[in-house]
Amino acid sequence: MEKNHKYPPKYLLILFRWFCHPDFVEDIEGDLLERFEYKRGEKGLSRARWFFFLEILKLLRPGLIRPLFRTNSILPNAMIKNYIKIAFRNMVRHKAFSVLNVAGLSVGIACSILIMIYVQNELSYDKYNEKYERTYRVLGAYGNPSVPSSFEYQVWGCAPVGPALKQEFPQVEDVFRFTSAEPWLIATGDKKFQEENIVFADSTAFDVFSWKMMKGNPETALVRPNTIVFTESLAKKYFGDENPVGQTVIMENKDPFEVTGVMEDIPSNSHFSFDAMISMSTFQSRRPSVFTTWDYVDFYTYFTIKPETDIASIISQIPQVLENHAGNAKNYYNFQIEPVSDAYLYSDALRQPGPTGSLSNIYMFLTVAVFVLLIACINFMNLSTARAVERAKEVAIRKVIGSFRTTLIAQFLIESMVIVLLSGILALFTVILSVPFLEVISGKELSVEWLMSPQFIGIFIGGILLVGILSGSYPALVLSNFKPAKVLKGAFKTSSSGTLLRQSLVVVQFALSIILLVGTTVVFTQLDFIRNYELGYDSQQMLVVDYGWDPKVQKHLKYIKNELLKNEHVEAVAASRAVPGFFFPDAGTKIENEQGEMIMRSPAIYEIDDDFIPTYKMEIVAGRNFSRDFPADSANSLIVNEAAAKLYGYPNPEDIIGKQFDQWNRTGHVVGVVKDFNYVSLHDRIEPLSLRYSTAETTSMLSLRLKSNDISKALASIDSQWQELVPQRPMVSYFLDQNFNDQYEADDRFGSVFSVFSGIAMFIACLGLLGLTIYSTAQRAKEIGIRKVLGASVGQIVRLLSMSFVKLFLIALCVAVPLSWYVMNEWLQNFAYSISIGWGVFAMAAMITLVVSLITMSFKTVSVAVANPVKSLKDE
Amino acid sequence: MGKYQLGEFEEVVMLTVAILQGDAYGISIIEEMEKRLDRKVSIGSLQTVLRRLEKKGYLKSEFGEATAVRGGKRKRFFALTQHGQTILRETKEQRLGLWNAIPDFALDKR
Repeated sequence: MEKNHKYPPKYLLILFRWFCHPDFVEDIEGDLLERFEYKRGEKGLSRARWFFFLEILKLLRPGLIRPLFRTNSILPNAMIKNYIKIAFRNMVRHKAFSVLNVAGLSVGIACSILIMIYVQNELSYDKYNEKYERTYRVLGAYGNPSVPSSFEYQVWGCAPVGPALKQEFPQVEDVFRFTSAEPWLIATGDKKFQEENIVFADSTAFDVFSWKMMKGNPETALVRPNTIVFTESLAKKYFGDENPVGQTVIMENKDPFEVTGVMEDIPSNSHFSFDAMISMSTFQSRRPSVFTTWDYVDFYTYFTIKPETDIASIISQIPQVLENHAGNAKNYYNFQIEPVSDAYLYSDALRQPGPTGSLSNIYMFLTVAVFVLLIACINFMNLSTARAVERAKEVAIRKVIGSFRTTLIAQFLIESMVIVLLSGILALFTVILSVPFLEVISGKELSVEWLMSPQFIGIFIGGILLVGILSGSYPALVLSNFKPAKVLKGAFKTSSSGTLLRQSLVVVQFALSIILLVGTTVVFTQLDFIRNYELGYDSQQMLVVDYGWDPKVQKHLKYIKNELLKNEHVEAVAASRAVPGFFFPDAGTKIENEQGEMIMRSPAIYEIDDDFIPTYKMEIVAGRNFSRDFPADSANSLIVNEAAAKLYGYPNPEDIIGKQFDQWNRTGHVVGVVKDFNYVSLHDRIEPLSLRYSTAETTSMLSLRLKSNDISKALASIDSQWQELVPQRPMVSYFLDQNFNDQYEADDRFGSVFSVFSGIAMFIACLGLLGLTIYSTAQRAKEIGIRKVLGASVGQIVRLLSMSFVKLFLIALCVAVPLSWYVMNEWLQNFAYSISIGWGVFAMAAMITLVVSLITMSFKTVSVAVANPVKSLKDE
Repeated sequence: MGKYQLGEFEEVVMLTVAILQGDAYGISIIEEMEKRLDRKVSIGSLQTVLRRLEKKGYLKSEFGEATAVRGGKRKRFFALTQHGQTILRETKEQRLGLWNAIPDFALDKR
């Protein structure tokens, strides 16, 4: 350490050694060090360092820096300059080809960069946390220890497990729990809104996650009960530019909460998000029992371990933790630990706190990027080899004068580098201009900052070199191999091997395009399929009013329902805790099996009233619905779905009727089985579900089936009625089908991103095809002229020119169909309910490709076919 | 004989090298100039001039022995070449010639 301080900053010296002329480095460095020593003695270390820095800057002079090119080898330097000059001349001479080349390549490179930005963003999730590497979370599960598969781990868990970990292990640094988001009515001054995304959170929030507190003290903000920390945007909504800290907001029309802090908005690349945090002590003072029981599920538990400690030592002692803390729960509860780095892309736990990413989508995108780039490279190779004949004379003369084969290869590689570099620079501009567009279609906040990072610059330069060599190598090898004597004698024609290669490359290109098109078609058909899937209930014209557990509404629930029923636009009304597509709890539930044993499982729970099933037009397959005719229903009855009946060992739903159950302090008998309906997205199978008879206090939503088709009129009428019935709370409502379809937003976005890039790939392939057509028609100009003179019609000539392509297209189709079928089938595995890929999809993709290609070619073929044959025949 | 005109800084540097007589390397030259002329000289500006003069053949240089100070780096000692000495002398004579040509009254005024 001491020694380090004596010396000037090392990086400056390294910099100096790099830029200084090698002949001068030694003695000037000595001078610098001597000077530094002297200054340090005279003026102290920091002044000496500053002085040293200035000296280094002043050494940046033309006479002293390292020369750009090695001066002792002037020859290659001049030759390189010559190559670059020739490259530019060639580009200018063949403007059409250059434009096609550069346009194709730059669009291809830009696409790949955009996809990389997107993928980079997906991979960057949660990395903003300083303690990212040592943050973990708890996954809990309830089940039967003798049947390990009965444990289905979920992120959403019980309260005591976090404190137990902290108590048991000194390695655990901080534990942070938060609850699932709940709607809260927040009012201040004249502003009153229902906020949907508010959580209870432990005071350790800012110790575990690196969220910045903008106002207020992060240590104490969430300690006292009835305190709330706003995110920046929520603070702005309620307080504008005022300082909210210390102000009071009224929650749910009654409780005054103090705003104790304003934090930055949760970064967009966080795997969960909320708008405000209420101190956990608020929750604890209201329902203390929740914090000691291992059976109540409402908490996400995250924790950090101390640096240089090992998580394995904690994982191996999980059984002891359960033994020491969980009491009776250890017989049916277990937990696991998952690093936060796995949360967004690699977690298969259920009940995630936010949307998760999809690794398979990332792979699909990367594949598209590679495809697009490959298609662009093939364009370039095709056009270069096609034009080889024109360059043959130049090559021959260079050889005669004494050029080596290696120098010729170098020349052509440099030429392709020049074009690729040009395209690369153009691509960067395109990327910067089109990132906002990608943000819109992907729905993500993407950062362009990554483009400045050394990682990207490395990839970019490496990529340019790779593409340049890849697309330049074949032309370079072929052209440099020409025999000068033959060429100069004039006996040189297009080599048949070149044609073969060109044709196979076209086949590859079109196979890739067809694969992408099939992909796009399948994605869209599938998305359409799930949107129109038979859900098991009628989601049309179902308006959901979310009143956020408002106690006044709960108290007058019956009256409100009756009043709403009087509205001429309303057909039926039901109250429940949640509706399909919405958040719902699950709970340990015991039901008697056929042998008479009570077995424990944790199906999801819906709390519904007796109107729910008829309102939703669900089908009862066995038993009956809850009914007011059976007063005992409210405490002693349970309805399950078919999946739940199977879970408890009753494949025939009739058999579960009348069996005993024990759930959440309620015992009694199963009275009905409802047909499976989709209450979560169709990515998942229909899971076991139990439907409890709700009490008014366990409801938070009303479902209204509307009669009329005049939606806006109905909405206005219901809204004004609501204002009279529930003056204390604005009406928050959604249409059920809309809300349910929001679950597929990620899929929709995937579909649109995918189709845009497929379209671009197609476009680039067409550019290449156009280039080849221009070339081949030019080659065959005389042939066409003679054919016309002999009486061929325009149609015949267009057909002649297009037929050669159609043959290639058919081969491409044969390659593409099985490949795309395989890939898309893999993708469809993501959905529990999916389409099967029929011939229609392939037929459509093939038709589109063929038609688009023929149209592209017709730009040139038709003009050649109608041209006056005299023009092509007269010169020679 | 195509005359090369020495710049002012070049001239000062060559004179200092001459003064130091075999002990002229980067830092000693700077210190000597700072001491005698009271002007700040950066390593960068000095080294550029030294290299330029060497390239023109007015100066020659060789490495000295490595020492423990200076991070073990050798010093490069500069000395005037024959050609350099001639140029320096010529410059001096030009200056003297100019001085001598000044009419007496022009300076007495101060």
